[in-house]
Amino acid sequence: MIKLKKLTKIYKDKVAVDNLSLEIQPGVVTGFLGPNGAGKSTTMRMILNLTNPTRGEVLIDDERYNNLRHPISKIGALIDANTVNPKLTARQHLQLIATASGISTSRVDEMLQKTGIEKVKDKQIEQFSLGMQQRLGIAAALLGDPETIILDEPFNGLDVDGIKWLRKLTKDLAKKGKAVLISSHLMSEVQAIAERIIVLAQGKLIADMTIEEMSRRSLSMYLRIRSENNLFLKTLLEKSGAHIQSANINTLSVRDVKMEKVGLIAKENNIAIFELTKVQPSLEKLFTELTVGKVDYSSEDNSSKREGVER
Amino acid sequence: MITKSKKASFGKLIQSEYQKIFFLKFSKIFIGCLIIISLLMGLIFSLTTNVTQGKAITELSPMNIISANMLGIDVATIMLIIFTGMSISKEFSTKLVHVSLAVTPNRQKFFFGKFIIYLILSLLVSIIVTLLTCAAAELVLITNGLPTVSFFDPMFRQFVFGSMYMPVFYCLLTVAATFIFRSSGGAITFSLTIMFIPGLISMFSDTIQRLIIPILPVSALHSISGVAEKESFELLGISTSILLLLVWIVITSLIGIFQFERKDV
Repeated sequence: MIKLKKLTKIYKDKVAVDNLSLEIQPGVVTGFLGPNGAGKSTTMRMILNLTNPTRGEVLIDDERYNNLRHPISKIGALIDANTVNPKLTARQHLQLIATASGISTSRVDEMLQKTGIEKVKDKQIEQFSLGMQQRLGIAAALLGDPETIILDEPFNGLDVDGIKWLRKLTKDLAKKGKAVLISSHLMSEVQAIAERIIVLAQGKLIADMTIEEMSRRSLSMYLRIRSENNLFLKTLLEKSGAHIQSANINTLSVRDVKMEKVGLIAKENNIAIFELTKVQPSLEKLFTELTVGKVDYSSEDNSSKREGVER
Repeated sequence: MITKSKKASFGKLIQSEYQKIFFLKFSKIFIGCLIIISLLMGLIFSLTTNVTQGKAITELSPMNIISANMLGIDVATIMLIIFTGMSISKEFSTKLVHVSLAVTPNRQKFFFGKFIIYLILSLLVSIIVTLLTCAAAELVLITNGLPTVSFFDPMFRQFVFGSMYMPVFYCLLTVAATFIFRSSGGAITFSLTIMFIPGLISMFSDTIQRLIIPILPVSALHSISGVAEKESFELLGISTSILLLLVWIVITSLIGIFQFERKDV
């Protein structure tokens, strides 16, 4: 298991990562989110010891990355699809990683096949599209059959087929008990695969919880109710401690009450329920709620939207 | 199918470093050209003595002709410096080093992997170029009706073995310099400056020359190959010369490792 302990990275004039402590859980896909400049990539680079932390440490099974006997079997990472020599072929790129790690050539072929780049294995990487380079990066990350897989923006450049494939792959890896950490700006993709979310903003940990927990805590999650007597039901729900967001003759929007309780109250008071829906916010909405006022780089349009959320 | 990984060893790392060099067509072509150009340049130097030294080839001693031909090794050294600087810095500029360090996170081990493979490569290149240049020089002597120099001649033997040190030394110096500067420009300039600095030092007074020349690697290389003149500031003992070369390599390597470990990639 990977543990980050009070991890801090300070560049000359900027705190990139600030006292970050968390654990990357095995058996789940964890979405690693944050606005631009939040410190996601720096954190990933510190996990791999590519960037030295100013303070704190990263432990992988209680050992530092550079003390691991066979690091490639502990962590496989795709930090940047461009970290290749473009003059090498895909096969050569994987082969030299395999050679250094003592991995068999058959595993190289297996990964080329698994990531769908077998047909172009002997082409120079400079001829690859971004999507193909991402696939090659993922092949390299999986080469050592690692316990943890770290993927930074893996959906970039992938076509629809590639996105579907990656969704399935990450879920399958988690099912096998592996820890999968994915950073992406595509909220819908993260929502489709991640069970747990870690949110960073301005280098600080903003949230580390399951998507369900996050939704529960969100101001945007509510129950939409339509009944034969909305106003009476509203009074009853208020008495039971529910928070009424809005109420009119047609619809009630209620928070801080369970669906089952609403049903029981309605039944006890002979009120027919026409609709009882849990309205869950999208990950994008949750993300916006969490990072409001914590974005370093924002366009004018988004700033005004965020101000709206704040108000 | 899950393939269980075999243990990663230092030998595997060296093998991987070898692949990094020779998987590239550029490397094979460059090394091939290096050998051919060095040989040709050696021949050109020995066949143009009437222009460069103002004496016809037949007027020169066999040892002088061999010495002119062996300038091909200087050419090989310069080309090897360029090759080493370009090859290693490419790993930094393409960020392939991220992948390499994910596999071999111990940066000292990674440095030594590079050091060993370039030691082997430069040694092989040096042996091939020296032997070919020697053979070409003997051929020049034969074709001009001059007596050949026997390999059993101790002066000739010292000259040949001593010359072999030069490509190896400068190649390893460039390895360390590339880790210090992380750019081919910086590394190549550093090694070439160290190589050609005696030419600049000769413009200064004897006092300065006496201080600086004996600590330069050129003095050690000239002393080992026996071309350092008796009264010159260059002349050092063989063991002192070897020690001096080792000190240069060790110091630059330590700086290279320190920089590599301290700075983010």
